[in-house]
Amino acid sequence: MNAERAIGPKRKRVLDAIHHRTPDGAPMDFGGSATTGMHVSCVAKLRDHYGLEKRPVKVCEPFQMLGLIEDDLKEAIGVDVAPLMGRGAFFGFDNRDWKPWSFNGLEVLVAEGFCTTVEPEMGGTLIYPKGDLTARPSGRMPKDGFFFDAVIRQKPIDFDHLNPDDNTEQYQPLTEAQLDDIEQDARALESGEYAVFASLVNTNLGDIAWVPGPDLIDPKGVRDVAEWYMLTASRPDVVHKIFARQVEVGIDNLARIHQRLGDDAIDVIFLCGADFGTQTSSFCSVKTFDSLWKPHYAEVCDWIHKHTTWKTFKHSCGSSERFFESMIEAGIDIINPVQCSAKGMDPRTLKEKYKGRLVFWGGGVDTQRTLPFGTPAEVRAEVLDRCEIFSQGGGFVFNAIHNVQADTPVENMVAMFEAVKEFNGRR
Amino acid sequence: MALSQALFDAIVDGKAQLAQSLVEAELKAGADALALVSETMIPAMDEVGKLFQEEEYFVPELLLSARAMKAGMAPLRPLLAAKGAKPAGVVVAGAVKGDLHDIGKNLVTSMLEGAGFQVIDLGADVAPEAFVAAIREHRPQIVCLSALLTVTMESMRTTIAAIKAADLRRGVKVLVGGAPLNERYAAEIGADAYGATASDAVALARRHVGLSN
Repeated sequence: MNAERAIGPKRKRVLDAIHHRTPDGAPMDFGGSATTGMHVSCVAKLRDHYGLEKRPVKVCEPFQMLGLIEDDLKEAIGVDVAPLMGRGAFFGFDNRDWKPWSFNGLEVLVAEGFCTTVEPEMGGTLIYPKGDLTARPSGRMPKDGFFFDAVIRQKPIDFDHLNPDDNTEQYQPLTEAQLDDIEQDARALESGEYAVFASLVNTNLGDIAWVPGPDLIDPKGVRDVAEWYMLTASRPDVVHKIFARQVEVGIDNLARIHQRLGDDAIDVIFLCGADFGTQTSSFCSVKTFDSLWKPHYAEVCDWIHKHTTWKTFKHSCGSSERFFESMIEAGIDIINPVQCSAKGMDPRTLKEKYKGRLVFWGGGVDTQRTLPFGTPAEVRAEVLDRCEIFSQGGGFVFNAIHNVQADTPVENMVAMFEAVKEFNGRR
Repeated sequence: MALSQALFDAIVDGKAQLAQSLVEAELKAGADALALVSETMIPAMDEVGKLFQEEEYFVPELLLSARAMKAGMAPLRPLLAAKGAKPAGVVVAGAVKGDLHDIGKNLVTSMLEGAGFQVIDLGADVAPEAFVAAIREHRPQIVCLSALLTVTMESMRTTIAAIKAADLRRGVKVLVGGAPLNERYAAEIGADAYGATASDAVALARRHVGLSN
């Protein structure tokens, strides 16, 4: 498939925004990626609210329990972006052959490989890598919890004989069958109605969600989260080798995807979900970022920009502004989730400083306070304010600050969508 | 006894094996266990906290130093216990029910241990009744509650309520921390104080047991 896709109004809105042209309104993403989605219970509540056909929602991302936002809901809330995610899910099984599963009493659909047991005493839910119930579980959801966390399966570490290959088992060349699936999914988006947001290649460099190896039966290497953080400071030589291998495989996979789908099948590509910010500070210095991460990001982005028209998307929670100049230099086009509640992330200052150079994909409403705990009026006011600030001159795609969390009141979600429509209606 | 510069540097630089072997060498040479802790190791962790506040150090360096401190403390613990040395205070800490994220909590407990506190670490996903039982058993001055998630913040409120219902609230100071929290929320749920960072938690704990920062 190499044909050019049409450019419908939704796709155009996004293309204008990511090319820093003023679109006809603020484009919106929900469900385009694993960091811009909604909890499955929220998707179910919204389907009910909008009176859409009653059917169980698919859990398209089992780690965070994100729900698939189908076209009818996209239409109801005003989404302009469609995901192209491949079939591989977080815990190493494929997203296919759906079956019913009860999530705290809500009937949802999960993939056949989504295999769980319940802990005898604590009552938590355990999930197994590749759906293999004989393996040690790689995820756990606490009783009455809303999503999984990785189970740390760390073997004793021999720091004198660290082998970087142990940490690269997850990063493998795509098989022809996987490419076939990707091509099939891409064909479904050929009409050009939506902008296509692809998350197909694991170039998540040191993303703490992936470090424990949730998709692996028997992870080797450094898999404990704290040990990984320490490794970045104590053995950057080893981390460099891990990243280099990951990037090598990643670029090879990107090239094969590009060859199969052509250039126009994808508009935005998910590069990496590693968080560099905390609520009040960061996980490393800019100097460390520049020496340890930046060259590897630059290598991937250089390839993408040299061979495609795709825009590169980087997720980094928290107080991340100090890294933005380096990220831009590395070739990152889009930043998410723009956590305005963190230190140094004032929306006006960000827009002023990076206008025309960085696309803000997020920042639309605070999911730590306003969206889950505020009133609909507070949600509306914040959304209108953020749209006003970030939309100037394009460079903004509306999304909440990270995934919409379970227990978010439906009236607040609706207030958010209505506020975006209100903002767009004024233009 | 003067400061042992090599041991101080080993902790600040996060070199665990070196810190432990230097402590063993100091003890062999006749150093006093308590003096090693109070005159070299606690000041080293104070320096680490300072570097963190100044953003010279970040989470990885903090974790490395905390590990070095722990390694250095290993040969000292039995000696300090035999001497009947009292900790700066007793702390019960845990990530609240439903929350499995314990890096922040681990940093706080490591820094508190580094500051001379005895920490009873209950781990993650800790039920309110487990906090109550630990307070009854260990009689701490301070209880530290941690939550990373907006969906588990409310577990802090139920934990504090359970401590109150068990008539143990007046005997302890409750410190809370975690990304989605702030001073206002801490006050609203009835906590005594909110710490934005591990260093803040240590400063608050010290203040509550009457130590200067």
